[in-house]
Amino acid sequence: MNRGYYWLIIGLAIPAFLWLVPTLWMVSLSFQPNEVLARTTSTTLFGLIPIPFTADNYAALFSFGQTPMWFLNSLIVAVGMTLGVLAVSTTAGYALARLDFPFKNAITVICLIGLMVPEQAVFIPLYTMFADFGWHNSYHALILPRMAVPIGVFLMMQFFKAIPQDIEEAARLDGVTWLQIFWYVMLPLARPAMMTLAILTFLYAWNDYLWPLVSAQRQEFFTITLGLASIQSNFAQSEGLGRVMASGVIASLPVVVMFLIFQRYVVQAMTVGGSKG
Amino acid sequence: MAARGASRRRLTQSQAAFVLLLPFLATYALFLVYPFFRGIWISLHDWNLLAVAFNPDAKEYVGLRNYERVMWGRNITWGALASPALQIIGVIGIAASIFLRRMGRVSKVTAIALGVASVLLFVLPGFHPGEGGRWYDRRFWPTVGNTLVFVAWTVPGVTIAALLLAAALNRETKAMTVYRTLFFLSQILSVTVVTLIWQIMFSPRQGLIANITETFGGSPIVWLTDERFAMAAIVITTIWWSLGIAMILFLAGLQDISKDLYEAAALDNATGPKAFWYITLPNLKRTITLVIVLQVILQFQVFGQAHLMTLGGPNDTTQVLVRYIYQTAFRDSELGRASAMAMFLFVIMGAFSILQFVVGREDVK
Repeated sequence: MNRGYYWLIIGLAIPAFLWLVPTLWMVSLSFQPNEVLARTTSTTLFGLIPIPFTADNYAALFSFGQTPMWFLNSLIVAVGMTLGVLAVSTTAGYALARLDFPFKNAITVICLIGLMVPEQAVFIPLYTMFADFGWHNSYHALILPRMAVPIGVFLMMQFFKAIPQDIEEAARLDGVTWLQIFWYVMLPLARPAMMTLAILTFLYAWNDYLWPLVSAQRQEFFTITLGLASIQSNFAQSEGLGRVMASGVIASLPVVVMFLIFQRYVVQAMTVGGSKG
Repeated sequence: MAARGASRRRLTQSQAAFVLLLPFLATYALFLVYPFFRGIWISLHDWNLLAVAFNPDAKEYVGLRNYERVMWGRNITWGALASPALQIIGVIGIAASIFLRRMGRVSKVTAIALGVASVLLFVLPGFHPGEGGRWYDRRFWPTVGNTLVFVAWTVPGVTIAALLLAAALNRETKAMTVYRTLFFLSQILSVTVVTLIWQIMFSPRQGLIANITETFGGSPIVWLTDERFAMAAIVITTIWWSLGIAMILFLAGLQDISKDLYEAAALDNATGPKAFWYITLPNLKRTITLVIVLQVILQFQVFGQAHLMTLGGPNDTTQVLVRYIYQTAFRDSELGRASAMAMFLFVIMGAFSILQFVVGREDVK
């Protein structure tokens, strides 16, 4: 390690701190009393240090208001969507990568061409369809459209293709069926790829805004992302700045914790999602 | 042989494939393929959301009229110098793509992409209403223009910042890992959290930025409601939000550059900025192209930032395409016109997806 390296560390500290300031500020404001914030947000060091300190905003959040319900909705939708995407993507990805069947190339192309269609190009017809079915304001309305997106199939297909062929052949000679191979041999091998896909889907579900905005009109079916949008326009008057900021912290907590624990997978998932989805 | 004889009830390979593919194909057909074609079908109708909800027959087939009503106007003419700045850039771009290809400085794909984009830049801004004419939809093209301005600021901003950061952080040490985590963190927040934070950051009365400028005696800027600053505010927010992915892609690209190249360069006294310019940049060309294409796709679909921070204002200066589609469909109930705009969006995004696919393919070779 030379001197240049230490200068680099010190030089980077400034942009890194600036990058962190907005997030820090949100956390700090969420721990300050609403009465103080209504007067000034700049009490101690521009408000970056929560003095005077209070945890009342969080207590209020969980004793009344809709944030806990929205949080729960987000969990249900995100877990449901993750399980659904994993189920359809692993099966289809395996079939496309390892099995032989008529029209295989054509079906593969048809499956993957959907990667070109952005959500914004289909949300209007999806809205009318779900309205015809009477499905809006339900969990399945929030979950189902994402299961149709081929990114997961693409990811799993790439993974299964890379597994050596002889594993399957050995199992076939022992008289094991294709579905058993899929379930007992391939799925355990695919755990890392499934983990990446699960995190990608969970993050997407947790943070998605446009489709829940269109589909969930009743507050009981808001996700936390949508709920937060609905209270942020009039934060100063009704709820109090501190409480809105506390909602923001709560809304971010699951994904931030997930990020810190599974950093490697999250980065990989977002790279795959960013470059193909 | 024994296995085959014993297994009359077992699935053949094709049957197994069918069973495994069915769940995905069913959801795919129902929730992506069908809606896509239904979207085209809606765009060919005069379709009022509320009227059709009460009476399914209240729609009327109008052919391509919606596309005309969105993108065309009365007495539209074309002039080679209708909006000179853009068109001259287009001409320069056409010349540059031919020249660069002749010199062998860029690949065929890049040259064609640049050429097509330049031709479009020359042709499209040339259309304008002639005497006594006007666009049927006065807001559509300005909205597309705002979206392009947003893309034109965000994409280079994200790309350059991410590239410099990645080059600085490209060492496997503890400190660098911590920095990477810090810079990536904002990326995983949802758009509503990001806009919540920055709305208040930019607030002239409570905002952190205003608090700091006031301490130093400046008067606070009314970021989100001033025509000069609203777009800038959204661009800053977006760069802060979406730097992470680009940085990670660059870090991955940097890993592939051989250390020998830098050692050889060091012998010629090329280190630091010089090495970055002569070794890092040329070897990262593919990754840079990929990041730019991805960012264009991502940022062109901007919605939440404009919808939540500025409501498209002030005076429509931050009205962007997806927000206009959303409003036309769900505020004005004009599903036909909104679907025509959505198809316009799809064509642009589709072109970039193909470009992304081609660039990705070149990567594999």
